[in-house]
Amino acid sequence: MSSIKIAFSKFNLRDSFGAWWENATKKQRIAFRVLLIGFFYALPFLDNPILGTPETNFQSVLFYPLAVYVAMAVGLNIVVGKSGILDLGYVAFFAIGAYTHAILGTFYGVSLWFNIILGAAFAMIAGVILGLPALRLRGDYLAIITLGFGEIVRIVALNLEITGGAAGIAGIPAPPNIFNVTFDVLDPKPHYWLMLTFIMLVVWMYIRLGKRRPGRAWEAIREDEDVAEFMGVETTKYKLWAFILGGAIGGGAGAIYSSQVASILPDYFTLNVSILVLACVVFGGMGNIWGVVAGAILLEYLPEKLRFLSETRILFFGLLMVVMMNIRPDGLFPRKKREKVYDKVTGQEISR
Amino acid sequence: MTKLLEVNNLTMEFGGVVALKEVNLHVSAGEIAALIGPNGAGKTTVFNVVTGYYQPTKGDVLLNSKSVLGLKSNKIARLGLARTFQNIRLFGDMTALENVMTGSDSRNKVGLVGSIIGTSRSRQEESLSHSRAAELLNFMGISHRSGQLARNLPYGDQRRLEIARALALEPKVLLLDEPAAGFNPQEKVELGELIKKIRDAGFAVLLIEHDMSLVMKISDRVSVLDFGQKIAEGTPSEIQNNQKVIDAYLGVVDNAS
Repeated sequence: MSSIKIAFSKFNLRDSFGAWWENATKKQRIAFRVLLIGFFYALPFLDNPILGTPETNFQSVLFYPLAVYVAMAVGLNIVVGKSGILDLGYVAFFAIGAYTHAILGTFYGVSLWFNIILGAAFAMIAGVILGLPALRLRGDYLAIITLGFGEIVRIVALNLEITGGAAGIAGIPAPPNIFNVTFDVLDPKPHYWLMLTFIMLVVWMYIRLGKRRPGRAWEAIREDEDVAEFMGVETTKYKLWAFILGGAIGGGAGAIYSSQVASILPDYFTLNVSILVLACVVFGGMGNIWGVVAGAILLEYLPEKLRFLSETRILFFGLLMVVMMNIRPDGLFPRKKREKVYDKVTGQEISR
Repeated sequence: MTKLLEVNNLTMEFGGVVALKEVNLHVSAGEIAALIGPNGAGKTTVFNVVTGYYQPTKGDVLLNSKSVLGLKSNKIARLGLARTFQNIRLFGDMTALENVMTGSDSRNKVGLVGSIIGTSRSRQEESLSHSRAAELLNFMGISHRSGQLARNLPYGDQRRLEIARALALEPKVLLLDEPAAGFNPQEKVELGELIKKIRDAGFAVLLIEHDMSLVMKISDRVSVLDFGQKIAEGTPSEIQNNQKVIDAYLGVVDNAS
């Protein structure tokens, strides 16, 4: 086992890529970004035997579970990875966003474009209502109370009339055409592109926050909450912000999701979803946004790729998790372990 | 001289245990005040009460003549009270510079939305935070460590980094909890000079320390705690000749050996 460990630690993709990235010129970096983003936008057309999923429709897989889970994992990463708040009820925010569009879109004819924002807003309100009392707790206690929150939202949806009870809501409208692109149930591509755009927006926002004051405050809270408080960090405020920002992302993703699947049931929003999103974050590398994205892609893609193994595929999935956690306990791409170089006077980071 | 920090009749009880009993202390502008006493005398408890971590059973804590009782620790910190820790508590996974910046961030006003948009104020404050942190690391003589993760720093530099992080808050009073613990004699001398330099830069210092030669050399005033009570206060030479302090803490030099 230890020899495997050494072999893996010697091959460090993150570091060798990081070295290339730091030596790259500005043009090379832009080219890399354009290529990467272009690749993901073109992905629905790359349904070949190597990439494709033979048993299921590749384009559907790209939207759900792949893009949906990447969006949720990126959102949960702010809460769990960056700020160290263990949230086991993340699906609640996703459900709130999904039902926002389902109810407002189906019964009141509100367009998805507004419902993404409204879904995020309702998720934020729910986050404040739960977060204000719950975030006084730490660790396991907080985990339990968030777990309860996830279940409460599902059970409320199961029992209310407006949410359609156990039958859920069907016939959820897709948004009107833009640029001659038709959003409908049969063609998942436009929704995939929409979710991809949403994810990119979120990642952009996260990176800006991460390297500025809020990012430092969240990291300080994750490292040692008491000390952060002694150093003047308003821990309650920043924890709440992390919680509701993560929630807003879940809410926005939920609204897009319900628009694509066109009918939702409370059964879609079980504890399993929360656990799986958390697994994506931990598997990818808590606190490193690229690790989390990679983790979510891999964890959601593999079960679809392995579908030919039918029932036993979950077994292989579990095996992969066990092996992973042994050879890379900090996740696929753990957050920075590299040292930085700062200017002696301005304190700005110098890229080597 | 103006009293920056005043502790009046402070009593702290944990259940039946009386950790502090009617303690009076103060720190004036421009001085190094020391707090000494045997282990378990309640020195660190004083720090924990004045920084708002514990609510005292009785008594009052005044910062700049205003009571800070009942305020949250982060508010007290921003009002001008920064501390270090007996057992080093850095943000291990952040670089040295980021550690210090966390402290200087508390002087900034930009919020979450401003940070996302990148308003001109947010950019200004960011670059100011960066340069201020670099300056402080330089002041503490650890600028060559700025890019390293705090957890990877050698022990002595971790202690210095803690002081730099506390100074980044631009406190009125700096509380140092055993800053020389684990230092060799040479490092202790250097630290003494550094603390004097900090005082001369305009920060009042309240120092908890067990190394008597350091305390007696740099302090302007020394208070002695024993079993939660203040038993003496005075200049270093007065304390050294105080019989109560000698009995409780300092002991007598054994001439026979």
